[in-house]
Amino acid sequence: MTQPQNDTDRLPDELIENLIRSLEHTKEEECTCDEVYAVVDQYVEAEFRGEDVQRLMPLIKQHMELCHNCCEEYEALLDILEKNDPA
Amino acid sequence: MNARTNESWLEDLRTPGPVRDAALDDLHAIVSKGLPYALSRWLSPDDPLFTPLVEEVSQETLLRVLDQLDTFEGRSMFTTWVHKIAIRIALTELRRKRWQDSSLDELVDNEENPAPERLMADPQAGPETSTERADMLTRIRRILDEELTEKQRQALVLLGLQDLPMEEAARIMKTNRNALYKLLHDARLRLKRRLAAEDLNAQEVLSAFESR
Ligand SMILES: [Zn+2]
Repeated sequence: MTQPQNDTDRLPDELIENLIRSLEHTKEEECTCDEVYAVVDQYVEAEFRGEDVQRLMPLIKQHMELCHNCCEEYEALLDILEKNDPA
Repeated sequence: MNARTNESWLEDLRTPGPVRDAALDDLHAIVSKGLPYALSRWLSPDDPLFTPLVEEVSQETLLRVLDQLDTFEGRSMFTTWVHKIAIRIALTELRRKRWQDSSLDELVDNEENPAPERLMADPQAGPETSTERADMLTRIRRILDEELTEKQRQALVLLGLQDLPMEEAARIMKTNRNALYKLLHDARLRLKRRLAAEDLNAQEVLSAFESR
């Protein structure tokens, strides 16, 4: 069993600062990681074709700003598409 | 080799026997060619782990592709969808490895890396900190105390302080990555609403934090 951490005094300043910073990107409606995963292939292909993904899929873009793990997976997929491109 | 359409990929992979085997061979080649591009940010191709990892992930990807074939909706190229699956498998594995290694380092190397307890021992402002910053921190801490649930706080500590990957934090909390994201979204929303109720916005808080 893990010990619950329950004392906010134990959160370091830096973490609190990052949390507050993330509020600027926070929206009432956000996609979840699963929703991003479902369409990230489509998203990366659109970006690869040079389409304006920020306008086409704003919620996906917004999730990437907040979710480091999804962003890494998106970048990795884009790497494959770009470097695999025979053109 | 890569001339299959989405439809022919699906058809071939659904045809037991030599047709499927040929499609799987082709897919294996495609995954193991693409994966190194995605992994090179994480692991040097000279690393002895690199080639075995590519092979292991490629195999696992084929199994998962066959298993999830019915969920492919044709909104991207089939091969992009397959690369996506491969990346999820590979990065989950790499993150787990990296985190295990770093927590091992921390155990071994206590001098260089102060334990989290020591890092957290001084929540109060240091001598160089302005009153404005100290006051704001105290106020925000009180808000966090009042607004965050125990689970939300635990998630923040695991992800933000101990720097765990989402999947690892989710495992410790007996949940999954998606639910963990929702939990944190909820926490951010509560804080955002509370700040609004107190006539504060994130910008103001941050600029108070920055005042020294
Ligand atoms: Zn995510």
